[in-house]
Amino acid sequence: MGLAIRAGAAVIAAAAAGLAAISAWPVGKAAKPITVAGDVNRGAYLARASGCIACHTNFDEDIAPLAGGVALETPFGTLYSPNITPDPLHGIGRWSIEDFARAVRQGVSPDGEPYYPTFTYPFYGNFTDQEIADLWAAFQTVNPVAEPDRPRDMPFPFNQRWTLKPWRLAFLDAPRTDPAEDAEPLWNRGRELVEGAAHCGACHTGRNILGGRDHDNQHFRGNRDLPGGNKSPAIDTETLEMRGWTVANLAYSLKTGLKPDGDAFGGGMGEIVLQGTRFLSDQDRRAIAIYLLDAHGAEAAKPKAETRKR
Amino acid sequence: MKLTTLTLTLAATVFAAVALAHSGATGVVKERMDAMDAMGHAIKRVAPMFQGELGYDADAVREAAETFRSHAGEAMTRLFPKGSNGKPSEAMDTIWRNWDEFAALAERLGTYAEGLSLAAGNGLVESGGMDAGALMGGGFMTSGETMMGGAAMMGAGSGMAGMMVGHEPMMGVEHLAEMPANVVFEMVSQTCTACHTRFRADK
Repeated sequence: MGLAIRAGAAVIAAAAAGLAAISAWPVGKAAKPITVAGDVNRGAYLARASGCIACHTNFDEDIAPLAGGVALETPFGTLYSPNITPDPLHGIGRWSIEDFARAVRQGVSPDGEPYYPTFTYPFYGNFTDQEIADLWAAFQTVNPVAEPDRPRDMPFPFNQRWTLKPWRLAFLDAPRTDPAEDAEPLWNRGRELVEGAAHCGACHTGRNILGGRDHDNQHFRGNRDLPGGNKSPAIDTETLEMRGWTVANLAYSLKTGLKPDGDAFGGGMGEIVLQGTRFLSDQDRRAIAIYLLDAHGAEAAKPKAETRKR
Repeated sequence: MKLTTLTLTLAATVFAAVALAHSGATGVVKERMDAMDAMGHAIKRVAPMFQGELGYDADAVREAAETFRSHAGEAMTRLFPKGSNGKPSEAMDTIWRNWDEFAALAERLGTYAEGLSLAAGNGLVESGGMDAGALMGGGFMTSGETMMGGAAMMGAGSGMAGMMVGHEPMMGVEHLAEMPANVVFEMVSQTCTACHTRFRADK
């Protein structure tokens, strides 16, 4: 009896010690100072391409731009996008540009806490200092809004932020935006957008039961279990070609929402077009289409397995 | 013999699947699905002209515009009586919770369609977006791109809500009539997308 209690206590103590260790385990790296000057227009363009406005603006309830509040119902609970206006209390008004860089590129808050990957920072890891400075400059032009963040509604254990630390170790890969030496510049630009800023894989690549993207088996094969019970179609080259997509009509759909069968997008993709890709240049939309429809190029540029894990 | 049965079964299954999308619909639900199909056919016919894959034909564009116009405004909204959704309809409850917005989009489709009909003769004007200088949306301004300026784009000043298709001030027919046909067609298309995004369930 006494032994059992002592053993139980030992297990609990060990678990507590382990938990304390995980809690203290630092994530991310300190951001180096960013000294380049940002460009508001370029930053606004990148913000559109990256979906900042689409995800951080609650159009349904007509809440101010970038003030957050959009619900994402995931299999792990419901999260709400935070206020990222420059409000000092409820937004990012007190952040430094280095805080911002660490949040966007590494998914780590100014307090050193890991963000849930509903924030698509895993795609933004290769943003340059210049791109961060541009985004930062653009965010300074946003009206501050005193709208408090909505608390997330997640069951145990997913509501424990420390659970994200092992998650990061297991599933956080570097974005596959590295250019292929022998590829066309437009194909490389498409790769940079598709695998980076535009984060197509967030919805179009299937995930494992822990919410990590399954690159090996599910890359661009669609996802039947998206937040809110939504589905995304496969966008691998074979599927796109089979369904009548061409570079011309795919690039055009990113501007208008029109599909080859005469239908128009709704749901998440409609939002992406209306709040994001319709603001891009014709050249960038074309680059996205070229990359998605050129499997051979993609094959050539496949990163080696050992360099993929970070 | 067995193979034939299997083939027939397969064929029947495929037919059933194809028919499923709009099958079982009756009354207004069927009527509005047919209207959407008619507009979809019109889009399919002319969209390749705006994508540079088919020669431009102003008459065909006018015809398509007339199809959109005939199904817009009242003609659209009267087919959505309160609560007329549920299987097989893809209409969302948000239609009736935001009826004014829904009706405004239906109205907008009509105005843009009229504009497209008048602008069809203007033909296409290249937006010249293929050089780096046009990165910021150079070329012709469409409904969405009139606010490409960085600050406005980020929601300063006049506010982001104005950026949502359906909230931005609607252009008049006279103004649309002066614009290149491709720009007005984009506005029509984005209106379809805006309405589907707000009011149609994701399949």
